[in-house]
Amino acid sequence: MTVIEVTGVSKAFRIPSVRRDTVREHMLGLLEPRRFERLQVLDRISLSVKRGETLGIMGRNGCGKSTLLKILCGVYTPDSGDVTVRGPLTPILELGVGWNPELDAIDNVCLVGAVMGLTLPELRRRMDEILAFAELERFANLKLKHYSSGMASRLGYAVAFAAVRDVLVLDEIFAVGDAGFKAKCEERFRQLHAAGHTIVLVSHVPHIIGHFCDHAILIDGAHITVQGTGTEVAAAYVGMLTGTALAES
Amino acid sequence: MTNASAGTEIGPVPADRLRADADAAAGRARAGLVWTLIRTDFKVRYYGTVGGFVWALLKPLTMFVLLMGVFSFLFASEPNYKLNLIIGLFLWDFFAESTKVGLTSLHAKGFLLSKAKCPSWILVVTSISNAVITLAVFIMIILLFLAGAGRMPSVAGMLMFVVYCVSFILIVMGFALGSSVLFLRYRDLNQVWDVVSQAGFFLAPIIYPLGILPERFHFYLYLWPPTAVIEFSRDVLVRGVIPTATAHACLAGVVAISLGVGWALFRRLAPRAAEFL
Repeated sequence: MTVIEVTGVSKAFRIPSVRRDTVREHMLGLLEPRRFERLQVLDRISLSVKRGETLGIMGRNGCGKSTLLKILCGVYTPDSGDVTVRGPLTPILELGVGWNPELDAIDNVCLVGAVMGLTLPELRRRMDEILAFAELERFANLKLKHYSSGMASRLGYAVAFAAVRDVLVLDEIFAVGDAGFKAKCEERFRQLHAAGHTIVLVSHVPHIIGHFCDHAILIDGAHITVQGTGTEVAAAYVGMLTGTALAES
Repeated sequence: MTNASAGTEIGPVPADRLRADADAAAGRARAGLVWTLIRTDFKVRYYGTVGGFVWALLKPLTMFVLLMGVFSFLFASEPNYKLNLIIGLFLWDFFAESTKVGLTSLHAKGFLLSKAKCPSWILVVTSISNAVITLAVFIMIILLFLAGAGRMPSVAGMLMFVVYCVSFILIVMGFALGSSVLFLRYRDLNQVWDVVSQAGFFLAPIIYPLGILPERFHFYLYLWPPTAVIEFSRDVLVRGVIPTATAHACLAGVVAISLGVGWALFRRLAPRAAEFL
């Protein structure tokens, strides 16, 4: 059964010659019209992921990987094309999730967990487990503004891993924490993978894509340029980068 | 396997169970989100204590005492000046506070919007919950004040007052929906609104009786929504009269316009809100 189906998805951003974010700037700039450059990030991207598969996505910085993930997660709206996700989706985007710095870990877990689809009884039942995974039991009542970025990211991973019901979307997996926490994330990831969860994973690390992904895609110039097994796409990615490096030298 | 794994039910939920549970679970999660947003907003704003809440009430109460001290001499001929002042001031405080918070609500909760799919209208609507709680306390204080003055309104009058307060909440909700998405594109809109709000305080007949202005200007003052709500509330609570059906129709029209315009703007601009965070 196909869980994720992306058909002809395109996304472009309008980049202004001068950025104007305020009423004042718009008023003062009335007589100086701006030029807009159209940046096509994704152009008619199509892909599908079956239940229990792990899809890897690779590509250079700025090639549109994160934009594609955000479209999959419903954070961005595509300009055209269709996205169908048959099942609850849990995202971990941009190295963790966002937090309210004025709230402690428990309240933030409730807030973010609820956004990710967990009910309050579920959250209360699993709170100790989440804090233990993040290794933050001692700091449960500390406001997030006093957390280091690593502590906050660990909490993000812990909530998201607890919230997974069917589909997991990961942007740059295992990029936070010390070696022990990374090992724990890898272990949890393997459990989810082995248990048959559908996973979409973005990474720059070839061995992660090669090792964990059943199939993968390489995005370049707003298109999918290579599709294949994780190992094939990881090799193509390395080839693309080294080819570029050779050409530049 | 590590001891502290973040999940006991590791396998994916079967497809048929997923479908059956999806709607109910989404509803429960959404209810949980609404409750958590209201609870955490209260906690942040009032430091999670009753003392913090009482502290926040001191601002309009202090304003009331100060303005009453100064203007009750100026309008000494107005027999109901104090009663009118407390009604106007408390209703205005709700309007000023809720519009200010509502305008920046999406930006303030941007951390929830940019990392996961989140029903953004819930973030906006719940943002004014604290102001609504404060309004409920104000209503109690107003009724106590009226009772203390021996001017307890009729049940019909109190019910009409509640209807006006609900109308006011809906007007603010429409404003919050529209302005919250505009604020993401125009980041000084809160400063513009501060100026409008400051002027609006004097435009609405809060510290002065509407009657001191020539009648030909009244229509223009009523175009400013707080004027209608404040004056209608004074009618039913203090003057003991029910405004005309036409007046009620106009108020209903303002509510409909505010909600309609706010919702239309929100529907058009909210889908791309995350791109402007």
